[in-house]
Amino acid sequence: MILLEPQNVIIQTTLSEKIIKPSSLDVQFVDYDGVRFHLSTPEKKTVLLLSMHIRCWDELVKYGALDILRREYGALVATQVENEYNVSLEIDIEQVPADPEARDAFVMSIALFKRNALAAPFELGFKTQKELESSGGQGELMQIHYRDEEAIYIQASLDRVTVIFSTVFQDETDRIFGKVFLQEFVDARRQPSIQNAPQVLYSNRDPPLEIRHVPGLRNTEDVGYVTFVLFPRHFVNPSTASATISHIQLFRDYLHYHIKCSKAYMHSRMRHRVAEFQKVLNRAKTEVATGERKTVSGRTMVSR
Amino acid sequence: MDTAFRKIDIDIYDEDTLQESELYDADPRDPAQVLDDAKQRQAAVRSSLAKGDIGEALSITLDNAPYGPGVDAAKEITLQTLLTILNSTKSTEITGIIKTLSQDSQDTLMKYLYKGMGMPGWGDISGSVLLGWHEKLTEVAGTGSIVRAMTDRRTV
Amino acid sequence: MSNVLRPYLAAVRSTLTAALTLENFSSQVVERHNKPEVETGTSKEVLLNPLTISRNENERVLIEPSVNSIRLSIKIKQADEIERILCHKFTRFMMQRAESFIVLRRKPVQGYDISFLITNTHTETMLKHKIVDFIIQFMEEVDKEISEMKLSLNARARIVAESYLTAFNT
Repeated sequence: MILLEPQNVIIQTTLSEKIIKPSSLDVQFVDYDGVRFHLSTPEKKTVLLLSMHIRCWDELVKYGALDILRREYGALVATQVENEYNVSLEIDIEQVPADPEARDAFVMSIALFKRNALAAPFELGFKTQKELESSGGQGELMQIHYRDEEAIYIQASLDRVTVIFSTVFQDETDRIFGKVFLQEFVDARRQPSIQNAPQVLYSNRDPPLEIRHVPGLRNTEDVGYVTFVLFPRHFVNPSTASATISHIQLFRDYLHYHIKCSKAYMHSRMRHRVAEFQKVLNRAKTEVATGERKTVSGRTMVSR
Repeated sequence: MDTAFRKIDIDIYDEDTLQESELYDADPRDPAQVLDDAKQRQAAVRSSLAKGDIGEALSITLDNAPYGPGVDAAKEITLQTLLTILNSTKSTEITGIIKTLSQDSQDTLMKYLYKGMGMPGWGDISGSVLLGWHEKLTEVAGTGSIVRAMTDRRTV
Repeated sequence: MSNVLRPYLAAVRSTLTAALTLENFSSQVVERHNKPEVETGTSKEVLLNPLTISRNENERVLIEPSVNSIRLSIKIKQADEIERILCHKFTRFMMQRAESFIVLRRKPVQGYDISFLITNTHTETMLKHKIVDFIIQFMEEVDKEISEMKLSLNARARIVAESYLTAFNT
C-alpha cells in the first residue's frame, strides 16, 4: 500500500456490518492527526450515533465546515452534539438504501466524515480563487492547526491556491529522512509524466514568504515547510476538486508514514546483517567436545 | 572529610617505578646534530633521486633515522624526505628496492609507513601509495617486521 | 572485493595478525587483578606502539596493542548527512548487541565509530585467523550495507513522491 485511503476503515466496516445485522455497540477509535470518533447506539439498536472530535474544530467552523457537513449529510447531522465531541451524525439504519451499490456509496460517505470536515477551508479557498479571478487581490490566509505543533495554511490568490504544510520531525533520523523524501517531491515533478501535478516547494527551517508574518512560528532545525501550488486545473470541476482535497489533506500523514516505513525497513535490514555478522564470528569459535560421557557402570557423568 | 588523597597516584613515588627513559637506550647524538644530520641527508637524497637511484636514497634516509624525544623537527624532515621518495617510485619497482634494503632499514621503513598513515593532516601524501608500499613490504619482510614496528620503543 | 579497497584491508589484516600475539598477564599494579592492559593503561611497559592504517582522513583503523589485549577502532566512511545517520544507527544497533559479539566494545574510542577489544581469552577460545576474517568481513560489508541502505532510501523516496504526485493527474 503506497497511497493512504481518505476514508476511515473502522467506520466503513462497522457500519456495513451493523446495517446487515443491527446490534448495540459502543466503540471509541481514532484517525490520523488525533481525531477521535465515538460510535454508539445510545437509544435503540437501529439508530447509530457517530461523534467526532477534531482539534481544530473552531477554525473549521469558521471556514464553513458545518455547511459542508450539512450539504453532505443533510438531516443526518444531529442537532444535539454529544458531550466532549464537536459534531455528531445520527444514522438510522432502517433508512439506509437497500440497493447494494447505493448502500456502499452511503457507507463510504459516512466513512469520509473527517475528510469532509477538513475539506471546508480547501473548498472555501477554491471558491475565493474563482471570485478573485475577476476582482484581483489576495484571499485571507486560513490557518488550520490540526496538530499540536503543525498546521496547514491555505491562501487563494488571482490564479492559484497555495497550500503550506508545516511539519515537525521528531528526531534527527526523521529530519534527515524527511529531507531526502521532500527533495524527491521537488525533483520528481520534473518528469514529463507528472508535469500536471501541483508545484512543490520545500524549505527547511525558514518559513516561506506567504506565512512569514504569522506569529508563533518555530524556526528550528526540525521544522520543515512544504508548499503546494494548486492551479485552477486541479479543481476545474467538482470531482477533480474533491479528489485533490482528499489527496492533499493526507500529505503530512503520507510523508510521515513513509518515513516510519523506511526506518522499519532499515531496522529489519540491520537485524539481518547483524545476524550474518554473528554467524561469521561464530565460525571463529572452536568446537568444544560435548559428547555424553558414561561411567563404567553405564551412568551418565554430570558435572556439578 | 577530605577524600582527595584517594586520587593521588602513589605509584609514581615508588623508586622501582619504570620511567619512560628506561624503556630504551636514548639516542647518544645531540638533538641539534640530529637535525643537521637530517638536513644533510635530505640534500643527499635529492641528488640520488636526481640520479634515479631510489635504493640508495632510501638507505640514506633509513640508516640512523632519528628517534626518541626532543627531535621532532628532525623526524618531520625525515618523514617528508621519505614520502618524496615513496611518491616518486614506480609501483612495479617497489618489491625489488625493498629486497635490497637491510632488515633494520626495512623495519624503520615500516615504522615510517605507519607514522605517515597516522598523520592527522594529509597534505600531499596519498593513502594508496603508503598502502601499496605496506603491502609489498609485508610480502618481503613478513609479519615480523610489523611486530618489530609495534614493539620497538625507539619511535620515529 | 573491490580493487581500491584491497590494499587497505590487506594492511589491516597483516597488522591485526601481527598484533594478535597475546598471552595471559596479571596486573602488575593491583594484586589478583587480570584486566585488559590496553584499557587500564597502568603499566606502560606492556603497552605497545599504537598503529594507524588509513585510506584517507575519513577511513581509518587504529590498532592499540598490549601484552594481553588489543583494541581495534574503525572510522567508517561517511560522505554526507544520510550516511552519517545510517552509520550511527548501524553501529549503535551492533553495539547494543555487544555481549553476543564477544569481541565488540560497547563504546567506540573517541574519534572512531566502532571499537573491538580482543583479549587473550578470546584468542584462546577462538581461532585467531577467523577473528581476523570476521573483522575484515565486517569492514568490507559495513560500507556496502550503508551505501545500499542509502540507495534504498532514495529509491523509496522517489517512488513515494512519484506516486503521490501522479495521483493528482487522475
